[in-house]
Amino acid sequence: MAHGLLVKNASGDILIDSDFSHYHFLGKHTHASVTQVPDITGGSTANTGGIGGNSPDQNKGMQNMPAKGEIYIYSIPVNGTNPPLCFIKPTSTGSSAPFAGIILTKQNGSNWEIRVFQSAVTSASPVLYCFAPLSQISNSTSSTHGLKTFNSSGVATFDSRFKPLRAPVAGSITAPTLAHTGSVGSSWNVSLGVNASNVSTSFTNQSNANDLIYYCPSIAHACQKYEHQEADSGYYGGWFSRFSWHRSDIWWCFYRSSFRIASTSSFEVNYGVFARGHFYKHEAQESTGFGSLLGFLFGGAVFGALFLLISSASFTNVSVDAGNYLPYNNSFRNRSANSFIISKASFYD
Amino acid sequence: MSYGMEIFDADGDEIFSTTDSTWTLLGVYVTNANTSTNHTGVPVMPTRLVTRTMIDQISGDDEAYVHTFSLSGSTLTTTAPSGSDTIKTVFTVFGK
Repeated sequence: MAHGLLVKNASGDILIDSDFSHYHFLGKHTHASVTQVPDITGGSTANTGGIGGNSPDQNKGMQNMPAKGEIYIYSIPVNGTNPPLCFIKPTSTGSSAPFAGIILTKQNGSNWEIRVFQSAVTSASPVLYCFAPLSQISNSTSSTHGLKTFNSSGVATFDSRFKPLRAPVAGSITAPTLAHTGSVGSSWNVSLGVNASNVSTSFTNQSNANDLIYYCPSIAHACQKYEHQEADSGYYGGWFSRFSWHRSDIWWCFYRSSFRIASTSSFEVNYGVFARGHFYKHEAQESTGFGSLLGFLFGGAVFGALFLLISSASFTNVSVDAGNYLPYNNSFRNRSANSFIISKASFYD
Repeated sequence: MSYGMEIFDADGDEIFSTTDSTWTLLGVYVTNANTSTNHTGVPVMPTRLVTRTMIDQISGDDEAYVHTFSLSGSTLTTTAPSGSDTIKTVFTVFGK
């Protein structure tokens, strides 16, 4: 730099360079509303009552499905076209704490809508600590104390009166591959709960885990399903009474990556159940005398038909964008290293 | 502290000091949905950090791809994994 101010710490890291902007505290925000993605569920049942005695009618709803997380919606006023940097102050920390991550950042008029997904429903709510460059902060101050720097164009780049971002920790973390490993179900009992091992990364020990806030938007997601079908046919009641039934089901969960402060020196990532669904097709017929029974669709044909049903099904909710959530099967996306920054709430409270 | 700099507010509370660590904003770069873009002129500092934020949604697609990236010298190369399902991505480059 030809002129200006350059401040480094004892490690040689640049703390203030007047040529460049610095993030400053924009404010602390609580959520405006909370919601969940509605279940996508449905099915068709035809003539299945009392036929043959063994037509399976159990678990046609969301039985045995893992609980969904919840979505907190925030509205952050900030000038300019770039989104604010929002740190999450989690509801709790430690090895039993829920995971949370920002899943949506969207400009909405002069505000930015931020959505935080938390893997479990809690009575407490996460709080956002938001930051922006000075050019996007409209707060005013009457304080005349502190340090302020300008770049060569005369634009303010650092102003201690607006609490510059202090970040003792940064790193990167990568989500697990799949949210659920091993068997995904047996017979009509689905098993899609998150059982992947948490991925941890360690950082320089801090004095109080409950004081830590983190910036790490969720980008990874995974989707897994369980399919099951059975069929039977035979005689009942007498020689000329025949039955036939067939049932095919698809259960699925869509997971989003989210994070937690596991300790004073550990940051963890895993998945939470963001959306889930269950579709089935169940048909049965009976015939007395010499009447013939119709053939049913089996195997891939039935599942293909169910997929068509699912892809055409969608939920609508004023708080959640319409969509369907079986976009791909038993795989994941965006599972690459995710940068994170950790700061302390006490710097800004 | 025995050396360095401390900045206090009017109440005498420390706001910033050379015992801190932080990240300076080097630039914000936006790559639109379903496109790949090379962003040039990215400032260089000894250590840099890139964060990705998925912006908006593609008609409700929470299942969208995010751009991949590589940062070398003053060029941030951003790539859309899918030509139809990659979401608009904001890259924030920090340095220290």
